[in-house]
Amino acid sequence: MIAGKTFVVAGYGWCSRGIAMRARGMGANVIVTEVSALPALEAVMDGFRVMPMIEAAPLADFICSATGNKHVIDKHHFEVMKDGCCVSNSGHFNVEINLPSLEAMAVEKTTPRNFVEEYRMADGRNLRILGEGRLVNLAAAEGHPAAVMDMSFANQALSAIYVLQNHKNLENKVYSVPREIDDEIARFKLASMGVNIDILTAEQDAYLNSWHEGT
Amino acid sequence: MSKKEFDIKDINLADQGRWKIEWALKEMPVMRSLMERFQKERPLSGIKMSGCLHITTETANLARALQMAGADLVLTASNPLSTQDDTAAALVSVYEIPVFAIKGEGKETYYQHLNAALDHHPTVTMDDGCDLVSMLHTERVSQLSEVVGSTEETTTGVIRLRAMAADGALKIPVIAVNDANTKHLFDNRYGTGQSTIDAIIRSTRCDYSLNQYLDCRQNLCGGGLWLV
Repeated sequence: MIAGKTFVVAGYGWCSRGIAMRARGMGANVIVTEVSALPALEAVMDGFRVMPMIEAAPLADFICSATGNKHVIDKHHFEVMKDGCCVSNSGHFNVEINLPSLEAMAVEKTTPRNFVEEYRMADGRNLRILGEGRLVNLAAAEGHPAAVMDMSFANQALSAIYVLQNHKNLENKVYSVPREIDDEIARFKLASMGVNIDILTAEQDAYLNSWHEGT
Repeated sequence: MSKKEFDIKDINLADQGRWKIEWALKEMPVMRSLMERFQKERPLSGIKMSGCLHITTETANLARALQMAGADLVLTASNPLSTQDDTAAALVSVYEIPVFAIKGEGKETYYQHLNAALDHHPTVTMDDGCDLVSMLHTERVSQLSEVVGSTEETTTGVIRLRAMAADGALKIPVIAVNDANTKHLFDNRYGTGQSTIDAIIRSTRCDYSLNQYLDCRQNLCGGGLWLV
């Protein structure tokens, strides 16, 4: 059960804030760890406790990393975790958890359930790694709901067509998805959900585009 | 069935995969409208594409849309553990899209599959984690001139690509799909939020009783009911 547990989320980017939001929604006490001041400040103002991982790790029943960086959960964190702590990763690569160090620390490794590996430490604590430290939402569940992939993959398909049609005018660099594609997908999705929105009047449109009218 | 090669776990899983792909499409109205448009306009007619993506039911619907747009497409896994073997089987046998992906494949097989996807000699690549673009810039440089551009799905891939561009190492234009508002504000936040909690609950607490329940229904009802 997640309610009443302490759930540590590493990172406060878009993925990790989604995890923090949903863990809180299920009744967990959520702690966020960060390396950048701005997202850390946002996490604090969103009502989460923020602290370094070395202070959060001993409190955690669950730890989930979604930072995109390596060894976010490292040997010195494993040393202070509670017995039974469940550690997982939702970042793209399986480098966020330093598994080789955990392997080296463990005296025994068992697989009590599907997608759960339990590492017994010399002091008797058992630490659990979910989904081999690979992105847990795809390894141990079925990935994102189709309703959100609908928009992601509409972007993929339309971007592939855009790059094919415009490559002669593009340099060898990283481009954002054109604004028109993004807006079109948002309009389509909203319409499919049966949600209507207001339309600017001509007067409002002129007001927004004018700097003459003020106080 | 086309004669193109593929490498999947078990082609007999195709029926099960097909139902799940169709089920997912019901939740994908934007993709459905794109499919209609693509069938008329055929904007990717005859274009060779290789996609390195998580082989899931949603990806299957993206692949179908690209196929309807006229693309000659192959898919490989973007992670050794994320492949849904039934989806891969349906892609190959129902939709005739070659797939190189087996859930739990080792590192060696994973890279063999990436190479197989590039053996297709794509004009456009589609990445989720920058693996195809990385390989094109390291082990298969001779093929770079055949590729006009790529798309990248995820934050991690975009970070790698920006590092390559800053070093002057990137030799093709790439569209960072992750940067679209209709991607990261929804997929990353609500998608990862929901599916990560889903995975933690399934793996640590819930799936044992669920499995027992399914087994019980299977025994009682001759093995068919659990598919309903």
